[in-house]
Amino acid sequence: MEDKSRVKMSLRNISKSYYSRKETQEAVRDVSFDVMENEFLVLLGPGQCGKTVLLNIIAGLEEPTTGKMLYEGKEFTGVNDGFGLVFQKTALMDWKTVIENVEFGLKIKHTDKQKRREIAEKYIDLVGLKGFENSYPRQLSGGMKQRTGIARAYSTNPGVLLMDEPFGALDAQTRYMMENEILRIWNEDKRTIVFVTNNIEEAVTLGDRIILLSSCPAEVKQIYVPNLPRPRDNMSPEFLAFREMIEKNTDMAL
Amino acid sequence: MKQKQKEMLVTVAFTLLSLSLFLLLWSILSINNPDFLPSPLTCIKKFQAMLGRPISKVSLGGHILASLKRVLLAVLCATIIGIPLGLAMGWSKKINAFVSPIFEFLRPIPPIAWIPLVILWFGVGEFSKVFLVTLGAYVPILMNTITGVKMVPPVLLNVGKIYKASSVQILKEIVLPAALPAIFAGLKTAVSCGWMVVLAAEMMASKSGVGFLITRGMEAYDVAMIIVGMCIIGVVGYLISICLSFLERRLCPWKTNLE
Amino acid sequence: MAEEIKKLSSIEVENRNKKKEFRNLFFIALAGLVCFFGIWELIVRLGLIELRYLNPPSMVVSTFFRKLVDPTPEGSTIPQHFWASFRLALCGFIIAVIIGIPLGWIMGYYKTANRLIRPLFEIMRPIPPIAWIPISILWLGIGYKAKAFIIFVSAFVPCVINAYTGMTMTSQTLIDVSKTCGASKWQVFKTVCIPSSLPMVFTSLKISLGNAWSALVAAEMLAATRGLGYMIQQGRNFVRSDIIICGMLVIGISGALMSAGLSFIEKKATPWRTQK
Repeated sequence: MEDKSRVKMSLRNISKSYYSRKETQEAVRDVSFDVMENEFLVLLGPGQCGKTVLLNIIAGLEEPTTGKMLYEGKEFTGVNDGFGLVFQKTALMDWKTVIENVEFGLKIKHTDKQKRREIAEKYIDLVGLKGFENSYPRQLSGGMKQRTGIARAYSTNPGVLLMDEPFGALDAQTRYMMENEILRIWNEDKRTIVFVTNNIEEAVTLGDRIILLSSCPAEVKQIYVPNLPRPRDNMSPEFLAFREMIEKNTDMAL
Repeated sequence: MKQKQKEMLVTVAFTLLSLSLFLLLWSILSINNPDFLPSPLTCIKKFQAMLGRPISKVSLGGHILASLKRVLLAVLCATIIGIPLGLAMGWSKKINAFVSPIFEFLRPIPPIAWIPLVILWFGVGEFSKVFLVTLGAYVPILMNTITGVKMVPPVLLNVGKIYKASSVQILKEIVLPAALPAIFAGLKTAVSCGWMVVLAAEMMASKSGVGFLITRGMEAYDVAMIIVGMCIIGVVGYLISICLSFLERRLCPWKTNLE
Repeated sequence: MAEEIKKLSSIEVENRNKKKEFRNLFFIALAGLVCFFGIWELIVRLGLIELRYLNPPSMVVSTFFRKLVDPTPEGSTIPQHFWASFRLALCGFIIAVIIGIPLGWIMGYYKTANRLIRPLFEIMRPIPPIAWIPISILWLGIGYKAKAFIIFVSAFVPCVINAYTGMTMTSQTLIDVSKTCGASKWQVFKTVCIPSSLPMVFTSLKISLGNAWSALVAAEMLAATRGLGYMIQQGRNFVRSDIIICGMLVIGISGALMSAGLSFIEKKATPWRTQK
């Protein structure tokens, strides 16, 4: 079994505020937690509570107003090479085909053409998109677009995969399927995953640990460890009890 | 399917009906005063005559080419200035802050109002005309490039940032393709703006071009010549826009070639 | 208490950074304008460009104030020129709007009217307003009629076509909703179709206002005895670059003001789109 006791990444007292003419808003307040190696960590929070902001801070897309972050024991700021990000909206480039989109990160890093084609094909295979390499994103369904996004995040071989409500825009049916898919992909190619969602059921289905965030500003409210065997049955009494426990503690979002 | 065909047939029939009604009305109106409004037939004859005999030493095709050359040259200049400047202004807040007040100060002045000053500066030669048309054409190209760059979805820029892409890479791989449709729309407007300005410039001071044709008609009290000239202007303008749409489909395949 | 202090500081840091950025951008913009006018003033003062080709901004401003009351050399003061042009533009434009927009709506609502009228407009559409100048001068003389006609034509065609397009883009769902609520045909037309078409109509008005204004300037340059176009044309004849530049600025600024006025009307007429 893989070791989940080693700390991969830590957040220490992260806060973030946004300026606006009327009133400066506080989005994240004093968040601290650790992420273990090969863990599937879920950040669960209601509506517009600032969890995306928190993930963007981890990804280095935004600067925290205060606080610091550690990766494998070393403090870092800005974009970290060890991270891959799957975006909330699919964030595919309309003018690139599936394989060109997956190759994007490698192309930026000047990997040679032969090599990056090989790697891209491997991950397109992993996410189950074989045969669609040369399609444009507009020709794909929502689920297929998000598979492309996952393949792109995997392609640069990151140590930590950050996922920002990747299935938020999908219909319920596709969403269940993609949840199972992400677990399959994770099992086949183990990574540390930080997964943001607003869906409690999704959180309980996927997470090794669940960090519940409060509504605006986002603060760590409680950390849950669902000790349920995988694959989890979302109709089992244990699952439902666990889900209800979290639900009672969640802030209502408007 | 059959329904659709029937619909098409009705539309075509009505179009023909409306055009023939229009021509009939025109002919009737022209009977009383053929000098004031020549009949359609007279206009066609005039067109044939113009095809055969040069006007001010330049053939009809030569006039059209002269105008087209001015517009194309000017649009090329406007593109060379407008796109890089627009990219810079859309990309950097500082460059935008420096340039845009000057630009906003000059922009409301219609290019046609520049005609006297430009003629005063550079005379009535070819350069003046190309310069004037460039003044008219660069505005839409610049504006659309700026909008195009500003409207690049921030999430795509984040994709670039995540992979630590350099500014050049982000510009080449993300910003330019994302802004291309907007830039192209600007180019289309620029050409039709340019087509308008070239007419004005040729009407004020020229010995060739389609704008010259219609002022020549005015000076000679030849309404038929003016009408033929206007038709040519309309047809050429229309053909230009068709060509540009075709070019757009070739340049942005991901926009249109899907269904 | 300690938490309260931390929150304040996080907000304050953000406030300070943003204010600094605004201040910097403002000074850069100011520097841009100072550079532009400074260089313009300097190249003339230093004699790099002859005064008759380019007057410095300071002299343009003083010419502007003098020409507010002084009709020399071309015969009218700036307010007289402006009024001559503005009156024409307003007249032609309003007539075009009053006839063109309802016509476009009727075309959008009645298929037969559309099929009969639209081919004619599709033929007229590619002809730029400026190309109408010679024929309207021949038909209507060099007085105000020809110019009002040019303005009318340049605004009329886009008004009709955009009112029509706006109307055909009305969502079928909304029409069905009103029908199921028992609305009559006229009520559907009035409460659903017309408001749906307004955004398109205003877009076209703004574009055609600009085109009409510059077509008017062109017409005045070709044949007129008063008006802003006439003023700059005469400025060239008298080799007075201060008058030309002055006229250009008045043309530009009044054009911008008119389009701002239109935007204001748009805001009042379509509050659901513009209010935040």
